[in-house]
Amino acid sequence: MKLELDGLTKEFGDFTAVNHINLTMTNGVYGLLGVNGAGKTTLMRMLCTLLKPTSGTICCNGKDIFSMDSEYRKLLGYLPQDFGFYPEFTVEDYLLYIAALKGIRPVVVKKRVKELIAKVGLSKVAHKKMKKLSGGMKRRAGIAQAMLNNPKILILDEPTAGLDPNERIRFRNLISELSEDRLVLLSTHIVSDIEYIANEIWLMKDGEILHKGSIDELINSMTETVWECLVPKNRVSDFMEKYKISNMKSEINQVMLRIISHEKPVENAMRVEASLEDVFLYYFGEKAGDENAAL
Amino acid sequence: MLRYEIKKVFSKSKNRIAVIVLFVILAITSILTINRVEYVDENGNSSVGISAARDLREAKNQWAGYLTADTLSKVLEENRTINSSKEALSDDITEQNKAYAKKQGIAGIMDVIIYAFSDYRDYNYYVTDQISDDEVGTIYERRISTLKNWLESGEERFTQAEKDFMIQKYKELKTPFYYEYMDGWAALLQNISTFILMLALVIGFLVSGIFSDEFQTKADSIFFSARFGRSKGISAKVGAGFCIATGFYLMFVFLYTFIVLFILGADGANCPIQLDLWRSVYNITFLQAYLFIVLGGYIGTIFAATLGMLASAFTHSTPTAVIVPFIVLCAFPFLSRIITLPGLCSFFPDQLLEIYLDIKEAGLITLGSKVTTIATVIVPVYAVVCLIFQPILYRVYQKVEIK
Repeated sequence: MKLELDGLTKEFGDFTAVNHINLTMTNGVYGLLGVNGAGKTTLMRMLCTLLKPTSGTICCNGKDIFSMDSEYRKLLGYLPQDFGFYPEFTVEDYLLYIAALKGIRPVVVKKRVKELIAKVGLSKVAHKKMKKLSGGMKRRAGIAQAMLNNPKILILDEPTAGLDPNERIRFRNLISELSEDRLVLLSTHIVSDIEYIANEIWLMKDGEILHKGSIDELINSMTETVWECLVPKNRVSDFMEKYKISNMKSEINQVMLRIISHEKPVENAMRVEASLEDVFLYYFGEKAGDENAAL
Repeated sequence: MLRYEIKKVFSKSKNRIAVIVLFVILAITSILTINRVEYVDENGNSSVGISAARDLREAKNQWAGYLTADTLSKVLEENRTINSSKEALSDDITEQNKAYAKKQGIAGIMDVIIYAFSDYRDYNYYVTDQISDDEVGTIYERRISTLKNWLESGEERFTQAEKDFMIQKYKELKTPFYYEYMDGWAALLQNISTFILMLALVIGFLVSGIFSDEFQTKADSIFFSARFGRSKGISAKVGAGFCIATGFYLMFVFLYTFIVLFILGADGANCPIQLDLWRSVYNITFLQAYLFIVLGGYIGTIFAATLGMLASAFTHSTPTAVIVPFIVLCAFPFLSRIITLPGLCSFFPDQLLEIYLDIKEAGLITLGSKVTTIATVIVPVYAVVCLIFQPILYRVYQKVEIK
């Protein structure tokens, strides 16, 4: 499976949401990392044929996906950021309906739905209405619907948004398990979501891909160094103004800061290994301080 | 897929409430219709309901048969006898009611005689006093001559072709009329248009969310990214709208008809509509009139529902889609009352639900050299429009982009 994005651009009036993106994807997990409004959802919607690009093409194994139409969507599984469902449907009914919409043969559909319900851990609530499920359960039903047609291309837009840490870890493991032999594109603004499962990470900002590569490659691409140092509490604000702070940990009368900087911030600062979170802060600067990106 | 689309509609509580409302409307309209048929017993007391209908049927069916000169003469004689009875001459209302009780069997025939001997748009109750036994057999000829006199009076402006059409239709009517108790059908036809209007509005409400709810529930992304989201999925939606509209329409019209005719009786189905609607240019029976009204109502309902679904697909808004059937079926007739749109109002879609009025007093239209009634034109025209709308609805939804 090969997806090629060539000069992909999407404009909404004067606003360019996705700007001339050229990428190639084959089987594996791709993490699309960026702050809110970076253009991740627009890019994914184009990949799901929900939006037509203003210019550029998306080809699947050499064929334009919009020309392929239902033949392309047959290969596709998609979990959108705002996962909408039919509140009065039971989990089973919901999946049976989506299965019909995906053209799964009626003879296998019941078995497939049952298997997936078990796989995502919803067997006990299979006959419960969707509206009665917790946020995590709804997301699991979402991933189940995306997997119904055993897609070759799985696109997950912010799949862990709004989930508690337990659910997020569970969800991450589930995605990892499902990612074998397929192309998975997962967008998030939460670094830990993709840190352990993505083979390649794309950093997206203002509609453009700033950088792409493995975690090591991204870390190596940083021209600044990561430091840790203990500073008195009353000096923290000075450091925050001067440096990019990727972490703070309070100790007695002092605070342990994790700083990204070219220069050694204080004499007692220790050089440490950079993490993906540091890369995120490095590339996305002050916006990394948004509450949604705190993780 | 179709099953799930229908299930989506009825899983919504507001739609379930709408169905309950429809049953309430059915009950109220049925009661009002049944109460139209009244019987006065020999003591002058009036009653409604099953027994009243049964007694009235018994009284009227004593006179069942063709309305020949001989029968009409006997009816006239019977009327004179009752009118000269001491009950009829009494000033006491109860006594007069007792006299009326005796007249109920011939009341329908007397109406025909009165209409025949009155001016075209008149109902002169006292005209019976002036009719001789020899004259009364001429009611069918008088029907035609009264029309001719009216057309020549210049009260209404008709073209010569239209005049010829009406006269021709009057002449083509098969006579003598067959008469029997037909009050069940008459009551049914009088109220069915109102019932169909309410039915069409509720059906419009039910189908209004079929297309827009995908956006309201944010299920649109998954729907359109699915393999058949832009093909069979849409066909299922169009099909669900059609099935719900058709199913509900037929079911409730059948229920209404069944309740009314079960209680009031279905006799008279093959009697000419002129027994109740004397001036009608439609040479049809009560049953044919009923089927025509139901067909017109069905096309009107499908038209309003399709427009609602089209608005739903265009605007992605259920409230907007709900309003459309109201505009089409209720605002148009209101508009025609405040704005003078000569002729045009007769072609508004609300007229599909008013076929009864067209049967009663037809509007005419000239197509090339051929004159016909408006209802016979708008029913097939709107049926074709409905058919044309279906692929448009499909295409509008197919082209949707999720921004």
